[in-house]
Amino acid sequence: MSNDGPIQDIGEKHLVVPGTTFRKITEAVSRVTENPAPRGWWIMFLAAVSFTGVLGLAIGYLFFRGVGVWGNNSPVGWAWDITNFVWWVGIGHAGTLISAVLFLFRQKWRTSINRFAEAMTIFAVICALLFPGIHVGRVWHAYYMFPIPNSMSIWPNFKSPLLWDVFAVGTYFTVSTLFWFVGLIPDLATLRDRSVNSVRRMVYGFLSLGWRSSNRHWQNYERAYMILAALSTPLVLSVHSVVSFDFATSVEPGWHTTIFPPYFVAGAIFSGFAMVMTLMLVARVVFKMNDLVTMTHVELMNKIILATGTIVGYAYAMEFFIAWYSGNEYERYVFLNRAFGPYAWAYWTMISCNVISPQLYWFKRLRTNIPLSFVISIFVNIGMWFERFVIIVTSLHRDFIPSSWGYFHPTPVDIAIYMGSLGLFFTLFLLFIRWVPMIAMAELKSVLPEASAHHHAHDDHDHHHAQPAKAE
Amino acid sequence: MSRRSPYEFEGPAPEAPVWWTSLDDYATQQDTSPSARADLAAEMPEGAWDFSDPVSRRGFMTLMGAAVSLATLQGCRRPVDKILPYARTPEDVTVNVTSFYATVIDRRGDAVGLLVESHEGRPTKVEGNPDHTGSHGKTDLLAQASVLDLYDPDRSRQPTLQGATKTYADFEGALREALTGHTSNGGTGLHVLVQPSISPTFVRLREAVKARFPNARFHTWEAASASNARAGARLAFGQAVVPVVDFARARVTVSIDSDFLQTDPGVVRNTRSWAEGRRVRSPADEPSRLYVVESNYSNTGGNADHRLRLPSREIEAYLKALAARLVSEHHIDLGDVAAAVRGAQAPSGVDAKWVNVVAADLAAHRGASALVAGTRQPAPVHALVHALNQGLGNAGQTVKYAPVADANEADDHAAEVKSLSDALNANQVQTLLVLGGNPVYDAPGGRALSDKIAAVAFSAHLSMHADETSEKCKWHVPRAHWLETWGDAQSLDGVVAIQQPLIQPLFSGRSDIEVLGLLSDAPSYRGYELVRETFRTQNAGNGFERAWRRALNVGIATSAVSPVGPGLRGAEIIRSLSGRNAGAPLSKTNLEVVFAVDAKMYDGRHANNSWLQELPDPVTKITWDNAAMFSPKTAEELGIRGGDMVRLTKGNRSLEIAAWVLPGHADNSVTLPLGWGRTRAGRVGNGHGFDVNPLRTVEAPWFEDGFSATSMGTRYPISQTQDHHRMEGRPIAIETTVAQYREQPNFAERMSPTPRTLPLWRAPNAYEGHKWGMTIDLNSCTGCNACVVACQSENNIPVVGKEQVGRGREMHWLRVDRYFVSPRGQGDADERATSDPAMAVQPLGCVHCENAPCENVCPVAATVHSTEGLNEMAYNRCIGTRYCANNCPYKVRRFNYLNWHNDGVYQPLDGDMPEIVRMAMNPNVTVRFRGVMEKCTYCVQRIQGRKIEAKRENRELRDGEITTACAQACPADAITFGDLNLRGSRVSELARTDRRYKLLGEIGTQPRTTYLARIRNPNPEMQG
Repeated sequence: MSNDGPIQDIGEKHLVVPGTTFRKITEAVSRVTENPAPRGWWIMFLAAVSFTGVLGLAIGYLFFRGVGVWGNNSPVGWAWDITNFVWWVGIGHAGTLISAVLFLFRQKWRTSINRFAEAMTIFAVICALLFPGIHVGRVWHAYYMFPIPNSMSIWPNFKSPLLWDVFAVGTYFTVSTLFWFVGLIPDLATLRDRSVNSVRRMVYGFLSLGWRSSNRHWQNYERAYMILAALSTPLVLSVHSVVSFDFATSVEPGWHTTIFPPYFVAGAIFSGFAMVMTLMLVARVVFKMNDLVTMTHVELMNKIILATGTIVGYAYAMEFFIAWYSGNEYERYVFLNRAFGPYAWAYWTMISCNVISPQLYWFKRLRTNIPLSFVISIFVNIGMWFERFVIIVTSLHRDFIPSSWGYFHPTPVDIAIYMGSLGLFFTLFLLFIRWVPMIAMAELKSVLPEASAHHHAHDDHDHHHAQPAKAE
Repeated sequence: MSRRSPYEFEGPAPEAPVWWTSLDDYATQQDTSPSARADLAAEMPEGAWDFSDPVSRRGFMTLMGAAVSLATLQGCRRPVDKILPYARTPEDVTVNVTSFYATVIDRRGDAVGLLVESHEGRPTKVEGNPDHTGSHGKTDLLAQASVLDLYDPDRSRQPTLQGATKTYADFEGALREALTGHTSNGGTGLHVLVQPSISPTFVRLREAVKARFPNARFHTWEAASASNARAGARLAFGQAVVPVVDFARARVTVSIDSDFLQTDPGVVRNTRSWAEGRRVRSPADEPSRLYVVESNYSNTGGNADHRLRLPSREIEAYLKALAARLVSEHHIDLGDVAAAVRGAQAPSGVDAKWVNVVAADLAAHRGASALVAGTRQPAPVHALVHALNQGLGNAGQTVKYAPVADANEADDHAAEVKSLSDALNANQVQTLLVLGGNPVYDAPGGRALSDKIAAVAFSAHLSMHADETSEKCKWHVPRAHWLETWGDAQSLDGVVAIQQPLIQPLFSGRSDIEVLGLLSDAPSYRGYELVRETFRTQNAGNGFERAWRRALNVGIATSAVSPVGPGLRGAEIIRSLSGRNAGAPLSKTNLEVVFAVDAKMYDGRHANNSWLQELPDPVTKITWDNAAMFSPKTAEELGIRGGDMVRLTKGNRSLEIAAWVLPGHADNSVTLPLGWGRTRAGRVGNGHGFDVNPLRTVEAPWFEDGFSATSMGTRYPISQTQDHHRMEGRPIAIETTVAQYREQPNFAERMSPTPRTLPLWRAPNAYEGHKWGMTIDLNSCTGCNACVVACQSENNIPVVGKEQVGRGREMHWLRVDRYFVSPRGQGDADERATSDPAMAVQPLGCVHCENAPCENVCPVAATVHSTEGLNEMAYNRCIGTRYCANNCPYKVRRFNYLNWHNDGVYQPLDGDMPEIVRMAMNPNVTVRFRGVMEKCTYCVQRIQGRKIEAKRENRELRDGEITTACAQACPADAITFGDLNLRGSRVSELARTDRRYKLLGEIGTQPRTTYLARIRNPNPEMQG
């Protein structure tokens, strides 16, 4: 990690509680993977695995009977399936933003939460990728979407935004996974070195790819990390832009909107930060990480939630303005119908959760309030799910020809699959917490005062004759 | 294997033991001379070694590998169903070449000549016979759907005696035995309940039976009976004649409670001529004008220029007032009848314009107007209508009278039921034969009849299903479908056509005439002989065989009879009209109940037809159910919402039924559609809707007042295909008035313009060959839904069932949208847009956009554009993302959410679609599996078929040669299909007319379907 000087010099606060040492960090993070899991972990894990089981059963039933086990109909061809897809993809965004964009901008406070956020990205994208796969009518032919040479000599239709999605989300998943894994290598090596049993030594040894913490390793590592961060950064913008093209390039009123790419990206970051907040606050309590994930982090994240929430609110308002300003009667109708039609309940849920609730964060006391932050993060998660639901379902349910208007009623299978996807996400996440260092130890150490080359010049701290942050 | 390096043949080592397989082999091996070696090499050439060695390792591995992988692959396949090809092909059958046979169907007293499509002896599709005057190549929705009845898996399959399976011979023996008792007493105690028939053979045989058993009684009953019209004609003219209205020539038509465009007799004929009279080719044309007075909102009412909603009971008073006005103001000569109507007043609440202006309009069109009375209205109303048509000089001009097919049929069918029930009550019936029909279900007091019927010594029911009546009769005999039997039918204008079977009776059913033949002791009672016998009497002389063959070939046996000009019998009419008083004023506590023939179920006989069950009602858009129709005002007064269960009560009669609020329905009147609530119709029809027959009485079979309605506080789920009825001011089903049309002939395109922006890139298709297109003339379309069923039949469209329709998953490729609009052209804000709206209909299938939104978004290129402009679906490529359907502005794409053919309506008994229902499938159209998107293809199978034909004959395609199923069925000729590139083709001409517009043209989709806007012809004097 490059290190441009002690953080106090540039007027920032300590990013970890003063007095935190390298050893303390290593201990705090590694012990989670080494000690027996706390009871709380087991309870959550069993619950999450049960939901994953439900997901499996529901998907099995879906494959057996057909998409008709959902509530989708004509005119609402997409409903919870694509809502869930967009929601999960959006959640993933915060991870990339925190790890890559903030890295490039040298926002060092990210180090406590980036591992977390990246893991969340990957698991969210896994959940997201589930839905395009299972929502098709003939899953056994879903591979037609990939450009595989075939005896029919037919390629996918490169004009279709759904195909762009396949590439965009696929790329995103690949790059995010690589980025995450590369970042993990020094920490996995730490775990390997601390291993007391042979299985751990074998597994972590394999995964740490022979990391010896040599200077050369660090040099290559940092360059690779930088390159992957640079690769990931445009993906933050591109993935959700491409996802938004599914809607923006269509002719449906309510979908056919040029504001969608930036609006979707802002919404994605918004929802992603909320999800990181939810997870972080839980982990902070369960694993007692108050020293590493401080109030500063909470406050900074809440500021971003406030900012993106306001952008999203602006986008909502602008959609209405443009619908009126365009003079297009179909467009006007769709927006009036959103706010006052049969789905007004969904619309106002969305507005309350996404636009109104983050406004509390204008007050410092509120944005540094842990319980409130948790509650609002949940609200935002709910609100952002409804945003996608509102966009997809309320646009489709009443479009051009009034004779075809309809209403969407979810079925138990819809609900089971959504809840099941949450189960899958938390299962993966809990496994991650249990077996992988959930905080980037090496990076976090780099923000300790000891990591500064000039540490001794400003000697108002404990005398640690420390190496620059390296694995111990 | 030849690619392998060859095995080197080295010959045996000298000391090696000699292995030999035959003496020749031994000899060869011993002979090591070069010639022998050469011989051996020739015998076993390079590569052949593999085969000579039965267990070569590589060969073994190859074959085993191939066998294992093939066996594995085999395991992945569905089980193979073996087909049996024709060992000896029957004459005239070429596999995969369809043949058409002429036949005829009886549609509520009118014969519709048909050409039925047959695939290898299997009728699959019904088309109209262009040479038949009752059809002119067109059909109606029930004729289209009736082919499915043939393949109804729930049809009874053998005769039964009190539930025990018997043979037809057993039945014949038992019947003969029962008849022996009657030969001595002349048939006393022999009662035959028949349905009204237009078959000359039927009439001939019935007379023969009467001759054999002079004391036998024939009772005629049909729930959808048109006997009032018959009695009316008898009143007016002293003879049973039937009016045939030429709507094309009638410039002004007044419908007196008549649904002549959907359920009344002669629908195909009426629709055709009505559409002709409405046709607008240029602003110079004047469409005819239609006034409708009715209680229910019928399809005919939806086509009216002015519609007066009036309880059925009060329509007679209105008609009298109209007649009085015509006499007093316009000096129409009604003869004696004038006295009967003098001073008559319209019912209270009716705008005086409805009397004065309508009378003036009629008087201004003497000889070019027509009044039509509905079959529901009593005989005196029919008689008065006849008198008015005579007085207005319409008789012989726009209204012609033809002799009825069966002059001896009873005039009052309700009384016929009464006489049967009296005889049953008096235990005078020893032998009861019920030929067709289902009186236990649909006769007034049918439930009371049932026990009496069960007590009759010999009772037999001839019917397609073991239904409610069969249950009570001792014998049940399967009745043949009309496509299975010989018969004949006389149309309203007297054209007789031979009903030619297309298939052997599937379940050895018998027809009515065959049973009558048995009763009459005819020399042969095979249908074929019986019909020929009738034909012989009609075509005496030695040209019989030729005439017979010609009749079968062409589909008509005799030409139309010349109309008669009967004289009015004024005194009779006066007598019938006098002393008829409406009772106490109608109110929410004194409701009128009106029974309506159902557009789909008819009288209930089509209950097990899944196409019809799923077809949305043309007006209410309700599927799989009927409901009691209330006007919005009455419903509000009674505190009823659509979908509430209500109880209708009068005296000791009561009925529980779901209520529905129908805008435009008459206040204080409740319409009850007949034909629903069957309990023994079959697995499709059982339990759908409500049986309203228990409220019906012999005295008042059509409407009756004195009912009260109370909400029961429970809800009933009703599945509609369309639950939003306003157009929201959008230019969708565009219409205007004649006056505005003349002002601005291209008004429609101005309302729905196609943007003229330059394309970003060159269009990939120049469409230099064929350019298929369609026009739909909304001015002709009556919204009858025949096209929808025709499309379903042609394209193997699955039925999804009530629950799935409720979810919005119906599969109709073509639908008829129905909107309620302000009758004054003032948009949705007009309060009459809900209380008393006009109706707009619009058939909508895939419009085949040249710039199709669906095509761009499909990730797997499963929906693509053809070089002829078709928007094509490749089912095998479709993975079912549904993105195309989402992006379709017309919402005409249909998705197979489940495997409808298996999980469909037959599911409760069969795990799979019954074999016999599959016989109704069109073999030229793929049956779609679940997970696949589908939609209108412009009947691509027909396009390809005709193209191949033309190519084989080495000629160009002719205009009109290719037509879609919807266009072919449409009795109004509203749909035209053809090649837009073909100079002078009908479709290219129509697509250029000034009324044209592209639906949602502003999106820039450039649809190939062009709509022609509707022109209403309101009377300016009625405005305000």
